[in-house]
Parts: sequence; C-alpha cells; structure tokens
Amino acid sequence: MSGTVVAAPPSAKRRGPRVKPMRLLLYAFLTVMALAWLVPVGTAVYNSFRYWEADTQPNGAFSLPETLTLDNYRDAWNVGEMAKTFGNTAFIVIPALFFTLLLAAIVAYACTRYSWKFNIAFLVLFTAGNLMPQQVLFQPLFQFFKRMPWPDILSDTDTGSLLGTKIAVILIHVAFQVGFCTFVLSNYMKTIPKEIDEAAAVDGAGVWRRFFKIILPLTRPALAALGTLEFTWLYNDFFWGAVLLNRGDERPITSSIAVLNGQWASDFNLIAAASILIALPTLVVYLILQKQFISGLTLGASKG
Amino acid sequence: MTNTSNRLQSLRDSSVSRRNFVIGSGAAAVGGAALLAACGDDETAPAATTTAAAPATTAAAETGVGTTTLGSNYSDANPKAALAAAVAATGVDTEINTIDHNTYQDNFNTYVQQPDDVMAWFAGYRMRAFASKGVVGDISDVWDNLDGMSGAFRSASSGLDGNQYFVPLYFYPWAVHYRKSLFADNGYDIPANWDEFKALCDTMEADGLIPLCAANDGRWPQMGMFDMLNLRINGYDFHVSLMGGREDWEDARVQNVFSTWEEILPYYQPDANGRTWQDAANNLGDKSAGMYLLGTFVVSNFDREAQADIIDDIDFFLFPEVNPEHGQDAIEAPIDGFMMAAEPANEAGAKALLTGLGSVEAIDAYLSVDPAVVAANSNADTSGYNALQRKSAEAVATASYIAQFLDRDTDPDFAANVVGVGIADFLATPGSIGTILADIEAKKQTFTFE
Repeated sequence: MSGTVVAAPPSAKRRGPRVKPMRLLLYAFLTVMALAWLVPVGTAVYNSFRYWEADTQPNGAFSLPETLTLDNYRDAWNVGEMAKTFGNTAFIVIPALFFTLLLAAIVAYACTRYSWKFNIAFLVLFTAGNLMPQQVLFQPLFQFFKRMPWPDILSDTDTGSLLGTKIAVILIHVAFQVGFCTFVLSNYMKTIPKEIDEAAAVDGAGVWRRFFKIILPLTRPALAALGTLEFTWLYNDFFWGAVLLNRGDERPITSSIAVLNGQWASDFNLIAAASILIALPTLVVYLILQKQFISGLTLGASKG
Repeated sequence: MTNTSNRLQSLRDSSVSRRNFVIGSGAAAVGGAALLAACGDDETAPAATTTAAAPATTAAAETGVGTTTLGSNYSDANPKAALAAAVAATGVDTEINTIDHNTYQDNFNTYVQQPDDVMAWFAGYRMRAFASKGVVGDISDVWDNLDGMSGAFRSASSGLDGNQYFVPLYFYPWAVHYRKSLFADNGYDIPANWDEFKALCDTMEADGLIPLCAANDGRWPQMGMFDMLNLRINGYDFHVSLMGGREDWEDARVQNVFSTWEEILPYYQPDANGRTWQDAANNLGDKSAGMYLLGTFVVSNFDREAQADIIDDIDFFLFPEVNPEHGQDAIEAPIDGFMMAAEPANEAGAKALLTGLGSVEAIDAYLSVDPAVVAANSNADTSGYNALQRKSAEAVATASYIAQFLDRDTDPDFAANVVGVGIADFLATPGSIGTILADIEAKKQTFTFE
C-alpha cells in the first residue's frame, strides 16, 4: 500500500511536464478563438460610443477615440422610432408566445396521454412542420390573408382584411412555432409518469383539471426553456413583419435597424448603437433564464 | 452656406407650423396659404408662388377630398423632412407611411398589392413594369394640370400605352466628379474625349494619384460605367433596346463596350468589387484619387458642416465623348417621383396630391429642406441651387436623351442577378468577358422583359 503511495508522486511529476506544452497550446488556441469571436461584437460596442463622420470613418474602427458620446443611442432611439417599434414587437411576441405554448402543450398532452388512432401520425405531422421553410408558404398565405375579411373590431388596424394587421403576424408565428414546441413538450411529458395522471383520474379529476393542475405545473422547466428560445426567435423575426405589414409604423423592432440604413450613406456607429439597444431585451431574458436556456438546447435531444 | 442653412431652418420651422395648422383647422386651402406666406420671409419666393398655389389647394378644399395616404421610401432624416414639407405645400390632407428605403424597394411587389393611395417610385422601366400589369393607375388627367414638365420627363413618366402613370419630383445626374482644387493645382484640363481622358489618367498616375475611384460593393456602382460607355459608344437607342432584352449580349457592339472599358481598368482602384462607394468617395475627398464616376449623391458622403470645404470643392464633368457619332448626347439621370394605386381608396385625394407634388411649390418646399437633388419641374426656384445643382439642371436640360440607370432601365432581377454579377466577374477577371457575356445572354432567355 505504502509502495503505491510513494510511487504516485513521481509518476505525477513525470506526467506534468509532458502535458504542459499541450495545455499551453490549448489555452492559447482557446484564448485566440475567444478573442476572435469577441472582436466584431466588441468593435460594434466600442464604436457605438463614437461619432461616425468625424471620427470612425476617417480614422478607422480600431483607432483611439477622439471623443466618446451617447448621441448615437439617443439618435438611434429617436430616428428608429424605437418606442413605437418596441411596442409593436411586444404586441406581436407576447400573445404569439402565450398561444404557441398553450396550444403546443395541449397537443402534446393529448398525444402523450391518450392512445388513439392517429396519435403518432399527428405527432409526425407537427414535427414535420419544423422542416418546412417558412418562405415557401409566403405567397399562399399572403393571398389567403388578402382575401380573408376581418372585422375592424378584432384588429389593431383597419385594413378590411387580415392582411396588414399584426393579428396576421401573430397567427403565422403561432402556426409555425407550435410544431417545434409540440415536439419538445411531448418528449418532456413522456418523462412524467403516467401513474400521476391515473391517480388523479381515480380521485375524480377531469381532463382539463389534470392538464392545468397537474401536468402543466410539472412541465414548467420545459415551458421556461421553450419560452426563452421562442421569445428570441419571434423577437428576431423581420420577414413576416416586413411583408405582411404595409405600414412602416406598424412594423416590429427589427425594422428599426433597416430604417437607420441610409439610402446612400449609412452611419454604421448609429446602426451599432441600434443593434445593441435591440439586442438588450433578448440578452436580459437570456441572462435571467440562462439555466433553462441551456437545458432547453438539449431538450429535444433525448427521448425520456 | 450660411444663407442656405438659414433658409433651411426657416423652412423647417414654417413647415411644422403649417402642418399643425392644417391638422388643426382642417381647412387645407387656408393652411396652404399660411404655409406659403410663412415661406415668404425669403425674398426669393415671389408673391406669384402664393397665388399659383391657390388653384391646387382650393381644388382640394372644394372637392372635399378628405385624407389621402402616401407610401414613402424617403426614410433618411433629410429626405423625410423634405417630403413632409413638399406634401404640406400641396395642401392635401395626407398621411405619410414611411418605410425604410431598401425594404420598400425589395418588397414593392407585395406592397403594391396592399398599397397606399399614392406611392413613391422610380421613372422609366420600373414604373412601366407595374403600369403594364395594371397595378398602378392611369393619371393622364393629372398631367393635363401639370405645368413646367418637359417632354423628356413626360416620356419617362409614360407607360407603353402612351398614358402617364408617374409624376416626377426630382432627379440626380451621374457624371465624373473631381476636386476643383486638385485639378487647378496640378493644371489638369477637363477631358473632352476618350483619348484625352486616358491621357489625363496617365498624367495622374505619374503624379502619384489613383486616377479613377472604383467601388462596386452591392454590385450596382459599376453599372454606371457600363451605361455611360454603352451610351457613348453605341448610343441611346441601342442602350434602350439592349436593356429591353431585344439585343444579343454577345453582339460585337457589347463586346466593344467591355474592350473599351478594359482600356481604363489599369487606372481603377484595385479590388473594386469589395469597396463601398463611400470608401471610394473618401479617396476623392482626401485627394488621393482624381476622378469618380458616380451620381451627384457622392457629396452626401461628406458632413455638410465639418466637411463643407470638400463639398464646395467637388465639381463634375460629363463623361467624355468616345464615339463622335453620339458625342455627349445622353446623360444618366435617375428620376424619382410618385405613382397612384390602381384602385386608390381616395382617388380624388390621390390625384389632388399628385397634382400638388408635380407643382413648383412642392419641389421648392422639398429643395429648401434637402438641397441635394435637382427639381424635375423646370419652373422650380433655382436661386437656392449650389453650383453642382445648377450644373446638374443644365446638363440634363441640354441632353438629348436621359437614361435612368441600369437597374431602373431593365428588369430589376435581370439587372441585379445577371448583369450585376457579370460586371463584377468582368472586374475580377477581365479576360473572361467572352464567357461572361455568353452567360448573360443565356440567362437573359429566362426573363420576359414585360
């Protein structure tokens, strides 16, 4: 016993010098890579505090600043009309997120708790929806919305049809995102023992009660993870907002950057400031729900 | 400069007060008169302007045209304010829907299916494409009331059926820009023909300058060089025919354009494809480069106050003659203006607005806020023009033919995805022009040019 104890340190010492160069190389490599990834973001942040025409444009993005300023942030907020576009995004994303998660949870519950004829086919249909490029459906949806009369009382803008209303954008988001959410939530619900359900049923709880009072609370980690992911996706959408809403002041926050892109000349520092402002909400949501976000990345990966 | 900015400021103030007044009173005619009166603090705005405005504004009030909507891609700060001033000058109660420039252009196909009553757009082929599809309205009757629009503008506003579908607001010509002080210090003369042009390039190179600024980021800036060479070598008629898909791109005449172009490629800034036009403009600004073929918007690269000395020092000359048969008879001057929806919610209002926007009052109000362009209306007040604007107006007025720019003179997809790519390839590997042109000709077959 004592022999092994004595023998161990020399062997550790021998291993030490042999590993060190490799480890150094590894650290050097990782540091360089990390810095390389940080350069674009760091440059954008740095230059968002500088003037474009007087400073960055003549001196270059990596030069020392002549003056630092918050003007870009103020201008980006005002010129991009961000107060309004943030409001538009909230109007779209919050209901879309709510209905996506609610409907997906209902489908997932039905598909995992009940055996019926089209159980698997149904799940496959929803999962397959993920593989559909959204742009492919653009023309049919556009024409459908255009011909779909919609009472003004149910709409945020008076266009006579669904086209041009934020309701249309919400509907599309819900339809496209339900597929992925169903896939993730059903996988998660499969990990919740069926016995819990059965016990509740024996105690006389109805389907809705079991769903809302038992299964949904147990699914909370998956819902939180999905909420974070889906928020980021819906928030970053530019396509549907741009093609379905024909009024500039109805469009979501992502259009604010486009507005700052000049017809001839662009103030890239202003655009950097706008990008940072626009990225902040997703960053905040991510930082608050970081734990769920990371577990969310692997949610669909393993079957329970 | 001080004069201009004072004028500018007073216009801004007056336009705001006018707009509020119109909203508040609902009496458009009175509002228009008040605005024009407010502009009158500048003695260059004659009393006649006020009376001339009266018919348009009174008409609007009498017919009770109500609110009209205007789709606008004037999303940059200056043009946006200028358009608001121009619309206010029409006296028509208008709601402006501003969409950022690029998205508006890229999504116009879908936008036009849910349009505003009046829409900002471009003259020439890009207007005709929509006119022939019936998605924009015939406004020939508006043209009966327009005064001061030349025949060239009328034809640029006409569809293939001969009716008018467009009201021009302003234009900006393309020409060879240079710094006056650089030419004066080095004793350079303005080249009149191709040989003099190349000789000047040689001299500049010997003087340690980059003779020609070259940018092609976005694959559109060098379309201007193609257009100019084709117009100079083969003439306007051939150019229009080529743009209309009716000529063979492998034709010897097109080959000739590229072989002539190749003669000046050695004078280009290297690696043009990756350079933005702004970066190249900086080289013109710091005098490291000599000449720059671009639209007059090149001055917008420089700060109006901090770099006013550079802006004032920039002048242009028309692209030199290459083929004596065509001389300098054609110029490239994209025209921006407005179209009407095929079925506007408020047709009377839309037409009143279009009539107003074509009027001299509207463009005067526009130019007083954003003096970077040149009025389409020949009666416009030119007293506020700087030297460059005056020269632009003169150049276009004396030209026999006005081209609109490659991506406006032909199918936009053909321009961007076929010709634009071909030109970029040519700049990268001039030697392969044979295969490039064969490729353009082959891809051309997939476009209908209707």
